Amino acid sequence: MAPKNTFISGRTGRGAAYVSDASGASHDRFMRLTARALLPLGLATAWLLARLTGDSFEEARAELERPFPAVVLIAFIAIGAAHARLGAESIILDYVHDEALKQKALVVNTWVTRAIALAWAFAILLIAAPR
Amino acid sequence: MAQAETDGATARRPLSPHLTVYRPMMTMAMSMAHRISGGALYLGAALIALYLLALAFGPAWFSAFSWIGSGLFGHLILPAFVWALFHHLLGGIRHALWDRGLFMDPKGRELLATGTLVGGLALTVATFVLSSLAG
Repeated sequence: MAPKNTFISGRTGRGAAYVSDASGASHDRFMRLTARALLPLGLATAWLLARLTGDSFEEARAELERPFPAVVLIAFIAIGAAHARLGAESIILDYVHDEALKQKALVVNTWVTRAIALAWAFAILLIAAPR
Repeated sequence: MAQAETDGATARRPLSPHLTVYRPMMTMAMSMAHRISGGALYLGAALIALYLLALAFGPAWFSAFSWIGSGLFGHLILPAFVWALFHHLLGGIRHALWDRGLFMDPKGRELLATGTLVGGLALTVATFVLSSLAG
C-alpha cells in the first residue's frame, strides 16, 4: 500500500524510497487466520465440487438444496473471497509498477472479489433457502 | 515506489542476476505454483459463481452455462479447480510447518515441496474416484 510516512532518500529524494507502511504483520495474521478456516471448508468444498461434476440440472439442485452443502459453500466463499482479495493484492503490488494502474487494479480487485462472493452466496441461497 | 523504479538514473543501474542464476529447485517451483494456483482459484471461483447463478435461475439458464460443470469442459474445469484447491491448501500447510521451523533443512524442504505436488495430485484423484464410487 501507499507509504504513510515519507522517507527522504539521499539518492531519489522525498517519498521515493521503499518505506514500510507496517501493514505486513496484519496481512500475515489475516492470511493465516483465514487459511486455518479454509482448511476444513476447502476439503469439504473440493468434495462437493467433485460430486457436482457432470451433474444434470435436477441432480445439481438436489445436491445443493441440502443444508450442509449450502452452509459449507457459503462459508467457503465468504472467507475464501477475503483471502483471495489479499492474495491478489500481493500479486498486484508485486507486478504492477505504474502507480495509477496499480490503484485502479486494487479497486477492481476489491469489487471483483466482492461480486464473486455475493453472486456465489446469493445463488446458493436461491437454491437452498426453504420456501 | 514507482518513481524509484522508473527513474532513468536507477533504471540504468546494473541489476543482479535474479531467477536465471539458480538451478531450478522444488521449493522455488512450488512457490511459483502456490501463486499460480491461487490465481487459478480466483478465476475458477468466478466461473463457479456463474454456474451456481445459472443453477439458481432455472433450467434455461443452466443449459446455457452447464458447460462449466458438465460435458468435456466441465470435466476439465472442476477437476482443475479441485487440484488447484488441494495444491494451494497443501502449500498453506507447508508454510505453516516452515513457520514453526520444521522441515527447513535442505533435504526436508525439498521433500515437503515435492510432497505438495504429489499430495495435491493424489488427493485430487482420490476425491474424484471416491465421489464417483459414492454415486
